[in-house]
Amino acid sequence: MSELVRLTDVTKVYQGGITGALNGVSVSVEKGEFTAIMGPSGSGKSTLLNMVAGLDRPTSGGVAVGGTDLGKLGEAGLARFRRDHIGFVFQFFYLLPNLTALENVLIPAQLKGNAAAGRARELLERLGIKDIADKYPARMSGGQQQRVAIARALINNPTLLLADEPTGALDTHTGEQVMELLGQLHGDGQTILLVTHDAKLATRHAERVISVMDGKIVDDARLQSPERAPSDVIRVRGEEATRWGP
Amino acid sequence: MGAVIVKALADLRRRRLQATVIFLTVLLAMAAGTTAVTLMSQTRDPYQIAFDKQRGAHLQVAFNATTDPQVLGNTPALIGASASGGPYPASNIQFRFGDRKFYVDAVGRENPRGAVEVLSITSGRWPMANDEIVLTRSFSELNKISLGDRIKVTSVAQTPTLTVVGEAVDIDEGSADLSSQRAWMLPAALPALSSPDSSFYLMDYRFPSDPTSAQLQASLDRLKTSLPPGSVSGALNYLLIRSIFNITNQILTGVLLAFSVFALAATIAIVATLVTGIVISAYREIGIMRAVGFTPYQVVEVFALQIVIPALAACLVGVPAGTLASQPLLANSSHALGLAYTPTFSIGLDLLFLASGLLIVAVAATVPAMRAGLLKPIVAITNASAPRGAGGRLLRQAGTRMRLPRPVVLGIGDAFARPLRAILTLVTVLLGVATVVVAVGLPRSFALINNSETGAGNYQVMVTRSSAYPDSELMRVLNAQPETARVVAIGGQNVIVPAVGDPVTTRLFRGDSSRLGYMVVAGRWYSAPGEVVAPAGLIHDAHLKIGDSFTGTANGQPLQLRLVGETYDINNLGHSLFMDIATMASVTPAVEPFLYDVTLRSGSDVSAYVRRVAAAEPDLLDVRASDTSIIAPVKIIDLVLLVLAGALALIGIGGVFNTLLLNTRERIRDTATLKALGMSPRQVMVATSAALLALVGGLVAMPVGLFLHHLLNDVISSSAGNDTPPGAYAVFNPYELVTIPLLGVGVAIAAALIPGRWAARTNVVEVLHAE
Repeated sequence: MSELVRLTDVTKVYQGGITGALNGVSVSVEKGEFTAIMGPSGSGKSTLLNMVAGLDRPTSGGVAVGGTDLGKLGEAGLARFRRDHIGFVFQFFYLLPNLTALENVLIPAQLKGNAAAGRARELLERLGIKDIADKYPARMSGGQQQRVAIARALINNPTLLLADEPTGALDTHTGEQVMELLGQLHGDGQTILLVTHDAKLATRHAERVISVMDGKIVDDARLQSPERAPSDVIRVRGEEATRWGP
Repeated sequence: MGAVIVKALADLRRRRLQATVIFLTVLLAMAAGTTAVTLMSQTRDPYQIAFDKQRGAHLQVAFNATTDPQVLGNTPALIGASASGGPYPASNIQFRFGDRKFYVDAVGRENPRGAVEVLSITSGRWPMANDEIVLTRSFSELNKISLGDRIKVTSVAQTPTLTVVGEAVDIDEGSADLSSQRAWMLPAALPALSSPDSSFYLMDYRFPSDPTSAQLQASLDRLKTSLPPGSVSGALNYLLIRSIFNITNQILTGVLLAFSVFALAATIAIVATLVTGIVISAYREIGIMRAVGFTPYQVVEVFALQIVIPALAACLVGVPAGTLASQPLLANSSHALGLAYTPTFSIGLDLLFLASGLLIVAVAATVPAMRAGLLKPIVAITNASAPRGAGGRLLRQAGTRMRLPRPVVLGIGDAFARPLRAILTLVTVLLGVATVVVAVGLPRSFALINNSETGAGNYQVMVTRSSAYPDSELMRVLNAQPETARVVAIGGQNVIVPAVGDPVTTRLFRGDSSRLGYMVVAGRWYSAPGEVVAPAGLIHDAHLKIGDSFTGTANGQPLQLRLVGETYDINNLGHSLFMDIATMASVTPAVEPFLYDVTLRSGSDVSAYVRRVAAAEPDLLDVRASDTSIIAPVKIIDLVLLVLAGALALIGIGGVFNTLLLNTRERIRDTATLKALGMSPRQVMVATSAALLALVGGLVAMPVGLFLHHLLNDVISSSAGNDTPPGAYAVFNPYELVTIPLLGVGVAIAAALIPGRWAARTNVVEVLHAE
């Protein structure tokens, strides 16, 4: 497997912040991996994901995706980079409210100049939501909205699929369905970087779990390796939870 | 379809109400602007076409009847004219039609053709007998005289009757409502209608190319110096006539242009407010757009397109509508010029105006939309909306200290929560109120000027005497009437003033002319022989200032005059002199008045008076009640102003409504929270916010409106060769200065009803859950 994402000594300090959201993080992600980033609220995991997506820039350090140094891209370049290489799934779906499901899915393709109506319908069918193609987000359930968001993220065949707490706004059952869907995509070769605070969910689907705390990586477990098992990761997360209090 | 278009159209569907506001404001601005531009570009053309077609005279000169016609035949070569007409014998005649009497200059001509001043016969035919006459169409239409009607000439003792056999359009004279008129007869018919003091020769001159004012002046000077003194008794040039033809369109063009600039400024303010509001409320959406791959430029495009699409629709409707609206005015010009009306417009100009309007709107939308493009995606996506504006805090604190009710305090704060939006809204309110001020004030100024020109309230009866009826006899008749309180008699004589091209029409008064209602702009009214007053046009051309003495020439004799005051008079575009008849008596002892302005005692029956005096000598006296009605061009301008004020007031209301809608939507969570806490009168809050914006806007607008009223008065007066009389500025009473802004507040509160109702119906659970 080849390296797809590389973060080198990345630090991010927000305006007015005494300590950084990320403090000298270095990590790489291989192509085809399903990696989960875990950590408590405020640990810096979403910041890390935003850096990879080019939605935010590090205060220092470098981020490269597929060999492209994101620091060298301007705002327009980053937008083109996202539409060409990244699919992003948000916790609160963030569909454009005045577009139908199909239109939402098509937007990234249209931005790329592709006529992808066929692929969009195919994705909706694959995700089990073809019946709601002409519905607006306000008339969809949370699960349906998140599936539309995943379809939107996949429309341009992204090199990397980023998911920020994709089940956070869903009930357990729907959340599980979404995670299974991500698992299937990974099975088809999709590289996925998932941010979640749910250790069980992460260990059940991801093959690698990176734990972040106080802006630093405190654990990096490849679950299929002989020395680490999902239970170890859950234990680590349990200890973290104890440290952060009830 | 591209993602940008898809997103912009989807947003447009969601913001239909705001799109409608944009559509209407741009429509009004573009329609008014196109009307103005079309009038401006096409006004000169119909006159020029008619002038060329009818071989109009660049210079027309009236010569004393004693001048040798053979000498006059040599004058074209003297001044380098390429063509000439005349000398035509002419005489000023008075005739009676029904119970009305009129003056025209009857000109003797064999036919309507010629090298200069070709007359266009629009109906009937040229006279074939000595008892036939042709009138101008403008004069016939104004006075409702038709072909076949018989008129009785009352200026000579024989009182012959003539038959109207034709109507003509003469490019060398203004319309009947603004200028004296000519009529044409066979030359052989003229001697029987002429008296020695009313006869003259008319010469028409045409030059190889259109001469300038200075060149015309030089030609006239050449004639004066080459002929015996006093030979030139009057002159008229094509520049003046063209101005008279175009003056209504010129003033309308000015008013419409000013309006379209106002409307466009209001549109810019509304567009900027709207886009700023949309960007503020759509932070998260902007973040999502950026996250899925929209570049900053594409984000800007999405927001700009939401404005440009309805603006384009408005332009596509407004530009043709404005072009159409200009056509009746242009058709009116064509009719007056005797031209067949053909729709006149320039597609190139329309397209240019459309592109310019669209560009202005696009820039107004793009500048605030750039804020969206420049937003950091993660900041936009994290914050659902823009940081809350801190403006209005001081107002809220002040309201609290004053123990105002809580909804009022919150409303006051809301109005200025976002200062830029508040300022832009104030601009739209300001423009609306200012236009209303102008629309209220200008017709009053016009009325005041009209009253001074028509003597409204100062005299009630006008008597015109035929030369066959002695002045002394008329005075005896008038003084014998018990209702007669005062008689001011007026005569006329042309005076040559140094540095002024044409001989100046001079009004000679006998009696207390200071009480006729003429407005004094500066200095004072004359009070002694030798003193004169004049309007700005003459003062300017003669390079005079009040207090200056100068030597005029009347009847070939020098006349010492001293300018003591400036008055307002639109006749001949401000080129006239006013003096006591005794001043002229020194060089023309025989000069007599022919017009008598009679002031009646309070409570007199004007109609009975008119009938009684007219009965003294029906053929030789024209007695009528003073006509104080406003002339047609001013009525048109008043009407246009009224429509424009209504339109801009609507734009102002649209601006307030738009801002309230944005404020209310932006504050929906606050409203829901307040509702959850038990607050009930949300509408009060919105209405207070509207009232405060309108009040501040109105208070600023009053001085702006007064300034614009002042400015437009000056522009209009100046185009008529005058300075504005001080009284024309002061047409508002203090009560109105307070009422107009308050009316604006009332209207704004009415505009607040819909957003207020919307706020009142906010579903607390839905809103707070969604957030």
